[in-house]
Amino acid sequence: MDKISRRSFFRRTVAAGAAGAVIMAKGAASANGAAGQPMATVIDLTRCDGCANQNTPLCVAACQSKNRSRFPEPVKPIMDYWPRKGFEDWSDKKGLRDRLTPYNWLYVQKVTVDGKTVYAPRRCMHCDEPTCAYLCPFGVIAKNGDGSVVIDPDGCFGGAKCRDVCPWGVPMRQAGVGLYLKLAPKLGGGGVMYKCDMCHDLVKQGKNPACVTACPQGAMTFGDRSAMKQLAEARSKEIGGYVYGASENGGTSTFYVSPVSFAAIDRALKEQKVVDGKPGRSGMPLKVENKVDQLDGWATGVLLAPVAAVFAAGRAAYKSLASEKNAGDDSDKGGES
Amino acid sequence: MEKLLESEGKVLRHDRTVRIIHWLIALSCFVLVFSGFGQMPVYKRYMITDLPGLTWTADYFITLKMHYVAAVILVFASFWHVVYHGIRRDNGLVPRKGDFGESVRIMKAIITGGQEPPSDKYLAEQRLAYVFMAGTIAVLILTGIIKTVKSMGFVLPEGLVFWSTQLHNLGAALIVFGIVAHLGAFIVPANLKLLGSMFHGKVDLEYVKHRHSIWYEKLKRRSR
Repeated sequence: MDKISRRSFFRRTVAAGAAGAVIMAKGAASANGAAGQPMATVIDLTRCDGCANQNTPLCVAACQSKNRSRFPEPVKPIMDYWPRKGFEDWSDKKGLRDRLTPYNWLYVQKVTVDGKTVYAPRRCMHCDEPTCAYLCPFGVIAKNGDGSVVIDPDGCFGGAKCRDVCPWGVPMRQAGVGLYLKLAPKLGGGGVMYKCDMCHDLVKQGKNPACVTACPQGAMTFGDRSAMKQLAEARSKEIGGYVYGASENGGTSTFYVSPVSFAAIDRALKEQKVVDGKPGRSGMPLKVENKVDQLDGWATGVLLAPVAAVFAAGRAAYKSLASEKNAGDDSDKGGES
Repeated sequence: MEKLLESEGKVLRHDRTVRIIHWLIALSCFVLVFSGFGQMPVYKRYMITDLPGLTWTADYFITLKMHYVAAVILVFASFWHVVYHGIRRDNGLVPRKGDFGESVRIMKAIITGGQEPPSDKYLAEQRLAYVFMAGTIAVLILTGIIKTVKSMGFVLPEGLVFWSTQLHNLGAALIVFGIVAHLGAFIVPANLKLLGSMFHGKVDLEYVKHRHSIWYEKLKRRSR
């Protein structure tokens, strides 16, 4: 039985209710992303070959083609992030395909583990409990009913906090674009953050994300989240393998299935310098705990504080008035606080 | 409870409960402002994280925890304040008709060295400042609770989250302005006489007679 956190329970309950209502209203029998049902992707690493015969893996090419019109077009010259020197500009590295950039929202890692070559398409995991969305200081990252986590480029200031709190360092910043240019470009903001949005627009239309459609090996399967989770677990059992993404950071909408352990993959990624610890080139760390989830106790405290205060203050006020009355103080309750 | 302490030549202006709640609100606000700016994020950008002993300010989860802890205190103290004084009908800080004009007259008198109009326990501008601070804190608490609920995994409407976030940020700027203005009031020598009462509760009787004569008359009537 899958362990379910309290917050996952809340979200799933609300999401299931909302999706159910939509389906009933439409009289539709299908439950997919178009109905706001949580969706997910299974990425089967036994099938991905990195499109070895292609210059660019077809999933990456499809992502490029689908999203090219949304790539940043910075206004130059770009100002430094005062008082620091420098800024993040990827606009002259648009062709990079060995990492995530504002111009490349999906890339394929290649690593050798125990003599086997493993190819792993990497992009946003679309967490169930996205720390980026919870902590965005401008509230412009949405966790949608279909499971996608989407940054609104029109409201993003590019502070890059989302990248810093993402366990995989996924969102990438481009300077010289976005809202900050219209306010105080020298003093605050740094551009706009970019990442995969699970082709939210296509999913809304009941279609698959572009990368899934483009994969010639059938290595990616997209569908209802619970069905995809079952598929990943079944496939893992079939090959005696492992699943990654089901519990990391409180659960995600991306399930990798591999015949070799993800601990070994993560180790090999580092040893072979496929990842360098910098954002946009993440490993596959295990035991990724959701750090916002860990603060739920204090968050609950914030919600309970009014209740505690009302009871305590009511009692104190009553005692105070009674004491004044006993002391024969029949003033006009004379307090001025 | 406020009262005349004529033998001491003092007036008890703020009892212990009021002082404790005031300082809980004040100190939690300082922590909330500091940790809140850490969430913006500005400390790394402005190299605060490079200062000795402040490296930890780069960790959003540390500043978030600080924010939550201080928020528990602020929310508790604020609700206490409203409920406690609401039940007791302590309404000295509630603005009155004509407070704006009276504030102008008081400030004019301070600048020109003229005669201030007689005041109650609180000056007219203190009553107006109270509304500003209380209103701002109310907005911060309400929007903060919405943000907290969101961070606990509840799915809220996108617009509600967006506007709560913007109002929370605006509220933060206003509370910083309010705190600076509140502390700035002590530049005025006459106001310095009030400062001690936030620590020990008392103000000089002669000061009260001179500047808060309306309040003094009330206290006299009550003590008879």
